[in-house]
Order: sequence, then structure tokens, then C-alpha cells
Amino acid sequence: MPLTIHKSSYRTGVKNVKAFIHSRRFVIFLFLLPAAFFCILYLVAPIPISAYYSFFDWRGINQGRFIGWENWKRLINDRVFWLSVKNNFKLVFFSLITQIPIGLVLAALLSSRLKGSRIFKVIFFIPMLISSVAVAFLWRYMYDPYFGLINSFFRLIGLERFALDWLGDPAVAFYSVVVATCWQYIPLYMIIFMAGITSIPEELYEAAKIDGATSLQSFWRITIPLLWPTIVNAAVLVIVGSLKYFALIFALTGGGPNHASEVMATYMYVKAFTEMRMGYGSTISFSLFTIAFAVSVFFLYITNLRKKSRW
Amino acid sequence: MSANNEPDIFMSWGSSSLELYVKEDKVLDLTPYMTDEWLDRFVPASLAIGMFDGKYYGLPVTSMNTAVIYYRTDLFEKYGLSVPKTYSELLNVVDVLKANNIIPFSLANKTRWTGSMYYVYLVDRIGGPEAFNNALNRTGAFNDEPFIRAGEIIQELVRKGAFPQGVNGMDEDTGQSRALLYADRAAMYLMGTWANGTFPSENPEMNEKIDFFPFPAIDGGKGDPKNLIGTPGDNYYSVSKKCANPELAVEFLKYLTDAKMAKKLVAAGNIPPFTGAEDDIKDAKIRKTNELLNQAPHVQLWYDQALPLELAEVHLNTTQALFGLQITPEEAANQMEATAVEVFGK
Repeated sequence: MPLTIHKSSYRTGVKNVKAFIHSRRFVIFLFLLPAAFFCILYLVAPIPISAYYSFFDWRGINQGRFIGWENWKRLINDRVFWLSVKNNFKLVFFSLITQIPIGLVLAALLSSRLKGSRIFKVIFFIPMLISSVAVAFLWRYMYDPYFGLINSFFRLIGLERFALDWLGDPAVAFYSVVVATCWQYIPLYMIIFMAGITSIPEELYEAAKIDGATSLQSFWRITIPLLWPTIVNAAVLVIVGSLKYFALIFALTGGGPNHASEVMATYMYVKAFTEMRMGYGSTISFSLFTIAFAVSVFFLYITNLRKKSRW
Repeated sequence: MSANNEPDIFMSWGSSSLELYVKEDKVLDLTPYMTDEWLDRFVPASLAIGMFDGKYYGLPVTSMNTAVIYYRTDLFEKYGLSVPKTYSELLNVVDVLKANNIIPFSLANKTRWTGSMYYVYLVDRIGGPEAFNNALNRTGAFNDEPFIRAGEIIQELVRKGAFPQGVNGMDEDTGQSRALLYADRAAMYLMGTWANGTFPSENPEMNEKIDFFPFPAIDGGKGDPKNLIGTPGDNYYSVSKKCANPELAVEFLKYLTDAKMAKKLVAAGNIPPFTGAEDDIKDAKIRKTNELLNQAPHVQLWYDQALPLELAEVHLNTTQALFGLQITPEEAANQMEATAVEVFGK
């Protein structure tokens, strides 16, 4: 009788496979597969690979030469690298104190039933739709010391001394870049907060109104607390985005003058692709990853602590 | 190239950028294919940039370029100025222009190689070509006197207001320098002679009012004032070692460097690095450029192409910082020398 046993077990096997194919889990798995594949190939895999390359003296052609911890020793003593780390944290700080509050205020204003809020919604969102290089061009022409909009304006109203050398003065260049960056990214957070505000039940505001709350009070007492998880998530996006920021800085100043606006990503680019030192570039990029990872984990940890203590 | 998937023929700027690939054994040695007849087609100085250890790896194809000082003839006339032959005459021109509220030199130095041209010329005029060559072959140093003196002169000019405000923030690639020249705000512009083609295409009317003169001599300097800086070939074409049909590739290179190509290049406003092409040049400025190149005892290759890549980066950054008065000439020179010691190991 071994044959029938075999047959029946074969049948149940087929049944199981069929059930498995039709199960929700398998379908989800199947649909995630292509995205997961490319995500792992292009986003996850390069991280350990760049850690591996950081131990090599490698020109990007042929084989590299294993040099142990040399790149890392060099990094610890690299004045320009630490300057770029400092600039990155300054960028995080300024982005947090401008992008989140301004985004929040704009979102609150546009969510209230102001006249023309739909038109402003579109107008405010435009910077987000322009590619970074085009944004850089726009600001480059506005910052032009002779023909630029900003200096011409200051000269027109007689405030000649505010007509600065926006991108050329090492003391100012970094902040000029920060302003352009914030201009570009505020709309993103505005949209995120607007989505958050829509999910707050209207009844809460009505109840507050009946109790005699002003709109400012209901903003502080209802909108902010209920939006808090969204704000924390947005802050993580700001932090990580600012730590790995590249495009606009590279296009506006190239990290100059003489490293004044250098950030980790622009420095990594110059080392890896201009000087063709892929090993050292990988060292910088892996430190960038480590720092961004550590900072965002730390941030999530302290915001969670706060949440727990509140309950 | 990095993916081991190189094309049969590729292009570089010669010198250190090509040397990288030669060292990694990616480039075919063209020496066996170089017949005397073919060699005679090239201007000898232009071949040197594609040569390593006496072997030919890259052949110049596109254009010979140098840097000259373009100036607005009408503005010079208006203020009674004549073309300066020495640095002290140049300082006088700077003073007169400043007094009339004209920026003496238009310069966009976010781009960095633009400011580097001043530095390269100054070192050559002060110390002659030996200064740089000795520093490069390590019998001299990058903090020798000519390098420090060049930095001092740049800063002297900056302090006199010879350059635009915000010079390090302006971008050559978006034409912010030429805008000042066209708008009667600036009078002079040190630039590569590819500008001979840029002016007529951007602003044909203004082109009539623009002429150029060679970089002036430095009083007491060792360098011949006829020396130029630039590149004697611009784009260098090489054949990769993996090429399956090297004979065909060489055949194609011959086609790219023949008399017909020379005529086409001249028609496009270039000075091809080939002998016997100059008779076809019609444009007055290009003819004048060609004469300068023919009379030059030495053409110093741009430092950012002549130096190894790391050192080029330090050179560009320190020179930019000199223009921004961010560092002293000694500091700039010492940083160069320290990096050179690191790169060359001595």
C-alpha cells in the first residue's frame, strides 16, 4: 500500500501548497518582493560594503590595497571632516528650529478656513516641486553680490551695509545655504502636518470653542498634543535629512569657500569622486551612516521616554 | 572604467587624470603605432602631456588653450589707460579704474580654477617654470619663495579692491563674471582663450570692444614674460588595453587628427594641436592667440591638471582662501607642502 499513502500525502501536499499560495501572507510577500529586492540591492547592501571598502586604499579601478585602520586613523585627525560634522549638526539645529515651527504654523493657517487657502497651498508647495539644482540656480542669482535681488533690495532701501557677500564670505556662506535649504524643505513638513491636522476630530475644536477657548489656545492645547507623534516623526526626517544633505550645498557653494560650508556628504563626494580616493570616501560615508543612525535612535529614545513619563 | 567595462577609445585631460589609468594598466601604449609621419602632425609640446615614461598613451585632439587678460578697449580708452606690461603698470591701471568706480578684474571664484590662473601665472613670472617643476620633482618645495610671493601679490590686489566683492561666491559656469564685464562694471578678465568663442556667441556687439593682452611681467621676476599657462592639447584620446581591435582604434585616431579634422576644428574656433593648421584661422583674436602660443618658450599646464588629484584639491582650496583673505600666503604654501610630503612620501 505504499503507493496510496504516497498519493494521499501528495494530495494533502498539493492542498497545502495551494492554501499557502492563496494565503494573505504569501501574496503580501510576493508583492513586496520586487521592492525589497531593489531596496536591499541599492540601499541596504552598500552600507556593509562601504564599511568593507573603508579598510582599503582604493582608486576605484582594479583591486584596492588592504591598509587596516589607516583610513580611520586619518579620519580621526582630519580637521576638515570634523568641521563638516560640526556644520552638519548646525544644519540639523537650524533646520529643526525653522522647518518644523514654520511648517506647523503654515499648516495650521492653511487648515483653518482662511480665504484663498487653497491657492496658498499650491504656491507654498512649489519649492518642493523644483529640482534642487534649479533651486540652487534661483538662489545663486538672488545672492549675486552685484545684480542679485537681495542686495539690490537692500541698496534700494538704503541699507547698503546689509548688502553682504552672501556666498563668498566664509562667515556668511553657510547660513545663506541654510536659508535656501529651509525654503526648499518647509513645504514638505507643511504637507505632513496638514495631513496630521485633518485627522484631528472636528468635535474637539467645537467643544473647546463652546468652553470659550481662543483659537490660539486650541492650537496649543489640541493641535500640538494630538499632532505630537507626527511632529516627532517629522523631526526624525529633518535630522536624518540634514545629516546626509548634499544637493543644494553642492550646487550652491560646493562646500566652499575653503570648506566653510562643507558637510559630510559634500566632503565624501570630493574625496571619493574628485580625488578618486574611494577607500577614504567610503570611510566618510560609513561614519555619516553611523552618526545619522546613532542620532536618530537617540532622538527616538528620548522622545519615547517623554511619552512614557507623561502617561 | 571602474566596472571593467571601458570603451575602446576614451578621452581625458592628459597629465595626472590620464596617469591614474596608465598606472592601473588600463591604457594601451601607442608608441609602436606612432609613425614619424603621424608624429610630425602634432605640435611637440602638446604630445608631452599624454606621455608617461617616454611612451605615448594619449594624443591631443581638440584645442590649444592659454590664459590671457581680456579687457574692455573702450573703457581703457575712456580713462586714458594703456596695456600694462609690468606689475607696477598693472597696479596703476587698477588704481585708475578703482577711482572711476570700475571693478578692475572680473572674477568668479566659486569655480576655483579661475582664481588659480592668477596664482599659476604669478608663480611662473616670479620663479620661472623651474619653481613649479622643482617643487613637483621634490628638489624644491611648494613653500619656496615664489609660491609665497604669488600669494602675497594676490592678497595685495584683493586689498586694493582689484576683484569683485563676493568673488568666492560667484560662479564662472553661470557666467556671473562675464555679466560684470558686459554691464560696464568691470574692465579686465583673466580667462582661458576658449573665451574667444564665448564672447561672440554670447554678446557679439560687446565682442568688438574686447581685446586681450598677455599677463604682465613681475618686476625682478625670473620668468620670461612670454611664458604662458594653459593646455597645449585639451582633450587627449587614448585606446584602452581591452580594445579588441587596436589597429582599427588607431586608424580612427588617425582620422581624428588628419588635415580635414584640423580645418573643421579651426572653423569651430579652436586652435588644433596640429602643425600647419594656423593658415586657415580667420578670427583676429584666435590668430593673435596662436602667435602667442608659437612664441612662448614654455607653457605651464594648469596646476589643477598638472598636480596629483589630492594636491590639486588643496591648491584650489588654499588659492580660493587666499582670495578670501582667509589664510596668509605662508599658511597656504605650508599646507601645499605638507600635502605634497604626504602624497609623494618625501
